[in-house]
Amino acid sequence: MTSTFAIIAQLLLVPALSPLFIGIIRKIKARMQNRHGASIFQPYRDLNKLFHKDEIISSDATFIFRIAPYMVFAVTLVVAISIPIITTFIPHFGTSDLLAVMYMLAFGTFFLALGGIDVGGPFGGFGASREMTISALAEGGLIFSLFAVSCMAGTTDLLSIPHALLAYGSTATLATVLAFFGFCVALLAENMRFPFDNPSTHLELTMVHEAMIIEYSGKRLALMEWASANKLFIFIALGANMFFPYGIAASADLSAVIISLGILLAKALLFCIAIAVIESTTAKLRLFRLPDLLFLSFIASSLAIIFTI
Amino acid sequence: MTLSLTYFLISLFFFTTISMHAVRKNAILVVLYAVQSLAVVLLLMYGAWLDQSIILSIVALFALLVKTTLIPRFFGMLISKNLITFSSSTYLKLPITALIVAGLAVLPSTHVFAPLLAIAPQHAHEIAFSLGAFFISCFMLVNRRDGMSQMIGLLSLENSIVAFAFFAGLEQSAMLQIGIIFDVLVWVFIATLLASLAYKQFGTLDTDTMRHLTE
Repeated sequence: MTSTFAIIAQLLLVPALSPLFIGIIRKIKARMQNRHGASIFQPYRDLNKLFHKDEIISSDATFIFRIAPYMVFAVTLVVAISIPIITTFIPHFGTSDLLAVMYMLAFGTFFLALGGIDVGGPFGGFGASREMTISALAEGGLIFSLFAVSCMAGTTDLLSIPHALLAYGSTATLATVLAFFGFCVALLAENMRFPFDNPSTHLELTMVHEAMIIEYSGKRLALMEWASANKLFIFIALGANMFFPYGIAASADLSAVIISLGILLAKALLFCIAIAVIESTTAKLRLFRLPDLLFLSFIASSLAIIFTI
Repeated sequence: MTLSLTYFLISLFFFTTISMHAVRKNAILVVLYAVQSLAVVLLLMYGAWLDQSIILSIVALFALLVKTTLIPRFFGMLISKNLITFSSSTYLKLPITALIVAGLAVLPSTHVFAPLLAIAPQHAHEIAFSLGAFFISCFMLVNRRDGMSQMIGLLSLENSIVAFAFFAGLEQSAMLQIGIIFDVLVWVFIATLLASLAYKQFGTLDTDTMRHLTE
């Protein structure tokens, strides 16, 4: 297995598995609410259904509305081959730098917001406004949390960080815990999960992500939903491999990659359980309370950097 | 391995001290205090094991009984008896609180505290964490309006002093340590009793509100 195959594997793995994790989170939530819940493969069926539906596009929509889903989806695929998911043995294209990945994700969010406001609907407008507010506040905590592990590893190249961290030793416990806390808050904020947003609501008072994509239908809506699932998987993979870099394949050896995939799935399952438990046990916070939590994430990550240095 | 264990315990201790500022529920605050105390007790046990001292082991076991069992039990009874589920708000808002906590956490690493860190250079990081926890606990005392949070802040302060003394090599005789732990137990007993009576009288433990109340 060469590095080219490693890239192809990661490129296919993210979109192939991301709906499964959404299905797992929904299933766990349903079980915690004493419901049977839909199958964990339901998101695949939903995507299939949407891809076979006709689209209705507003006459006020410009080309931005039409290209936004492709841009948002494409960004997640580029990020998928820029970060260590199952192996670090991937050729460097210059996109695996910490800031490059963060700004690619921000680029996707930017197009998501543009798509939301393009047709001039009130829902898209306030959804985009809320999304950009939360994203801007979450950005600091996210970058600083990953920067803390970068400081430990001595590099900002995400593909090099896992193995450098394993060599760093155990004295980074507190810094790692603080950075991980900051990252988890940012994960929930960036992916519009509880307590920042309710991903399953269409109530105008509370929705954020759903408000932005409310004008989309058919294939473009499917791409938006799929991109959202990809983004969650990317964040889970980042959390799993940056803070718990155990088991990730250092070579393109097929057996090492298969073991790495198994370990990643186990770690991702734990993340899914944690997200489902948080979503089942906490209430959505008011918009004006969100900056407090995001600022806490930023401070925790800043402390992690200070303790690392 | 030796360094890792003590570093892990003081990290756990420090993390629980920071977390106390973020929680609002009294029950979680008590659990955090119990975990913090457990970290201190494990440090004492580790010290006793290193010295191969039976009397120090007894001190550590006594601390385990008092700090991780009896004191949380007293607070648990106070919470359940008076239904004080949530603590009152803080004087400062969470972002400002977090900023000050971050500043206090970093403060011991500045050159001002270098002489204290030099007491035991091999444990300089651990001493810095202990001092940071000391300052953060002091801040909890002044920032919280709720009487119970203030009590836990004071006990956290005591734990910080114990951790500092452990790493700085300033431990006192075993009998004196047992006496201090016994004092703490008696103090908690009286404080919870007074808090219970105050709650019955005023219907709140919010010190800010109680200031304006009269008999």
